[in-house]
Amino acid sequence: MTLMIRAKVAQAAHAIVPAWPLESFIAVNPLGGEEGRPFEHAVGFARLTRTDPEFHSDYRIGRITEADLVAAVNERIPELERASTAGHGQVRIGAQTLTGAQVLAAELALLMPLKPEQAAPHSAMDRVDRLAAKWVAAYLDPNPLWTMPDRGAGFYGAWRRLVRHDTDIPLRSRRRLRSLPDRADDALAEAIARLDIPESQVERAMQAELAGLPGWTAQIKWRAEHVGDIDLTSYLAVRFTLRLALGAALPSGAQGNIPPLLTEPAATVMSRAEQLTRHLCGSLPVGPHTPSAVARLLALHPQHQHPFTWQRAYELHYQNELLASLRSEAQATERPLIQLVMCIDPRSEGVRRHLERDPKVETLGFAGFFGVPIRFLGYGAREAVNSLPALLSPRHTVTDAPLDGTTGLRRRTRLRLRDALASGLHASDSVTAAPFALAETAGWFLGLGTVVRTLAPGVAGALASRLDSITVPPLPATTTVSTAFSLEERAQLAETAVRMMGLNRFAALVVLAGHGSTSTNNLYQSALDCGACGGNPGAPNARAAAAIFNDFDVREVLARRGIIIPNDTFFLAAEHDTVSDRLTSLDTHLVPLTHRAALHQFEKLQHAAADRLVMERAKDLPGASSRQSPARLRRRAHDWAEVYPELGLAGNAAMIIGPRELSRGVDLHRRVFLHSYRSEIDPDGSALESILTAPVVVAQWINHQYYFSALNPDRLGAGTKTVHNAIGTLGVLSGQGGDLRRGLPWQSVGFGDDLLHEPMRLGVTVQAPLEKIGEIVSRNQVLRDLFDNDWITLTARTNPSEEWQRYTRYGWSPTQHPSPPSEGAVQ
Amino acid sequence: MNGLTQMIRIEIVVSGRDAPPIRELVTSAGATGYTSVSGVSGIGHHGQRSGALLFNDYDTLTMLITVLPPERAPALIDAVRQLLQAGSGVMFVADTYVSRPEYFQ
Repeated sequence: MTLMIRAKVAQAAHAIVPAWPLESFIAVNPLGGEEGRPFEHAVGFARLTRTDPEFHSDYRIGRITEADLVAAVNERIPELERASTAGHGQVRIGAQTLTGAQVLAAELALLMPLKPEQAAPHSAMDRVDRLAAKWVAAYLDPNPLWTMPDRGAGFYGAWRRLVRHDTDIPLRSRRRLRSLPDRADDALAEAIARLDIPESQVERAMQAELAGLPGWTAQIKWRAEHVGDIDLTSYLAVRFTLRLALGAALPSGAQGNIPPLLTEPAATVMSRAEQLTRHLCGSLPVGPHTPSAVARLLALHPQHQHPFTWQRAYELHYQNELLASLRSEAQATERPLIQLVMCIDPRSEGVRRHLERDPKVETLGFAGFFGVPIRFLGYGAREAVNSLPALLSPRHTVTDAPLDGTTGLRRRTRLRLRDALASGLHASDSVTAAPFALAETAGWFLGLGTVVRTLAPGVAGALASRLDSITVPPLPATTTVSTAFSLEERAQLAETAVRMMGLNRFAALVVLAGHGSTSTNNLYQSALDCGACGGNPGAPNARAAAAIFNDFDVREVLARRGIIIPNDTFFLAAEHDTVSDRLTSLDTHLVPLTHRAALHQFEKLQHAAADRLVMERAKDLPGASSRQSPARLRRRAHDWAEVYPELGLAGNAAMIIGPRELSRGVDLHRRVFLHSYRSEIDPDGSALESILTAPVVVAQWINHQYYFSALNPDRLGAGTKTVHNAIGTLGVLSGQGGDLRRGLPWQSVGFGDDLLHEPMRLGVTVQAPLEKIGEIVSRNQVLRDLFDNDWITLTARTNPSEEWQRYTRYGWSPTQHPSPPSEGAVQ
Repeated sequence: MNGLTQMIRIEIVVSGRDAPPIRELVTSAGATGYTSVSGVSGIGHHGQRSGALLFNDYDTLTMLITVLPPERAPALIDAVRQLLQAGSGVMFVADTYVSRPEYFQ
């Protein structure tokens, strides 16, 4: 019975997507458990598209055109396009002859928008929710003032021993909680039996309980898999036992979106047809058979599908402009002086575009962990971090090895001293009565610091940085990557990276730039760091990758495999700060004298590029203006009242996998994930398979996190930052209690009442042999789910001389896109 | 059989993302250990499945193999059957023989 209960819990929780803790925020598709179903049939308490009035508003301003609607209808109802191509299916209405798709598009555009469905109101938290939230928060808080007694007994064990003292529970109910089973499994089974839940309803009842606090549930699911100090069985045991003791009614177990009926009643369709026909005929007489002919077409497009057709038209408008802006140029023949490899993150696009103003610079995109999945322990750091994509488990730990042991020791001593000071201050601040003594002794100094941080955040940032460099001097070091990985493994990592990013030549200086973000008083800091590095800054991976490429033993192995890295090529690690847009060169003590001039030139170029980019970004950043100086804009990183230090990945909408020549010189407005790839150096397609099954999956997670946080800021987003309270580094609450918030805060996707992020499903564009792409999709369930079920879309062409083809369930289909926009930019 | 002791071998093939609850069931059933093979490939009810993916452990198939004394196997088999109703995956159950039964008790 015990095992069966656990199986039922796992079954009930199957579709729940685990939520990573805030300290290593990983963007996920909150409806990821639904990817096995078509997008529009996803079940969840979520809005899946924008609203009808919003789409009509876009139509009026030209953000969606009639051509987009026709294209969307044709894509969603392929038989209409086939009929139209064969010259059938046209209808004469008044003075016009329209194709089937035009009729359906006309209905969308001409008829009054449907009243937006009101999102189901948040059901008020019931007593069990309130109590469960309180107990889970107390148990999981990583930095409590008082550690929960008996925590070692596990969540259920600790709760069982303490709950009888919980005065939020009526005395009569507490008496019922005095003799509970020792084990969570038994308690859960017993509570379910005593609540008289029929066997056939157990899973549904569990789902309803799990839906009560979806944020905590998702966090517990993650924790059960990664930490192991709590699981959903013990959580449900507590919930069901409380429900039994309180005599509270079982939750209703609403199922979220219910897929509507596939067909509409004939009378409804006829009514739509008559209305549309009258609209289209105007003052002309309506032919006797016209409404019936129109009704036959409208029956193919029931009203519940309309928002999804609008959504697709909205996406096609952007995607077609993007395709039209792409170029078909050959790679420049001259060897570049500097190559810069950056993360595929859309924020890299701006840096790359501005640096490439200099023709001697070539840039590439690759996943920000540079193909080196590591657990990294910085020198003197308290703990290691998983610096790798969430799709992988760490197998190799890399640390810092100081070049000079004495400096290392001095640095460690000073770090410890600083830590001791900080924790002493924290303790004085937290212990009863001690804050008074603290205020007396250190109040003036801390008060002055507060004034400076408030009134002059730029000065405070500069002072902190200066103080940091004086008290904890920089430590020249190397990474221990050569001991963590064997020579064969390092050569394999390097070869894979070269083939995946299509690195078919090497400049004298190749810069591998990870990225991180600097902000103050920002609980969502790690959401701005590198997703491919597990929500951490990417410097360790860039340093490890550079060390591998600079290793002459590795180069020898690569040469035997046909990859010749010239002797005059040096790989430099760097890190892009996405608030200041500056790139900091790392491990510069390793740069040989022969490359000092190139390094100097790179730093000069990137300084100028960073200033231009910061000014460019100011146009979109709330509260900023392009009249402000770059220094003023960069001050946001140190301003503890700033809720928009940067916009993160807001606006992300597409991914391009192909050579840089496709997009070099095109302003993609930092909205596109750019992964470099050349099919010529990947004859068996294995590199492409790695790209499609890893970076594309991660980009899709990010894209859907933004998509659903924008459409459902209260349910799947974290709401406004301004009322957030942190539970240690675990997550945030809105206010002082309740559910753990999921997803991104409103300040990541919107400003005021308006969205900053255009919610569009990721459009993936690949330049590679179509046959090879088809084979890869066919043998990977994850890709079949994503592409066949319309969670994301795929467009491809084999080479620049061919037209772009759209992937459909029925095969490749030619795309029709308008001519390039006059500005040569894609907004 | 040659002084060997009969046990039950259970093999479960599920996607990487569905493996944690299966592992939890196996350990909760009192199995003293299991073997996990990630990146298995093949063709089945849901079509072709690629083998190991270079940078994605999450979406590849994983095969979990465990061996239990016959009296403990039925509960695990029933529980795994229940769980597999929620998604894709297969379970194979077979008699097996071991030379050191104390390792599996």
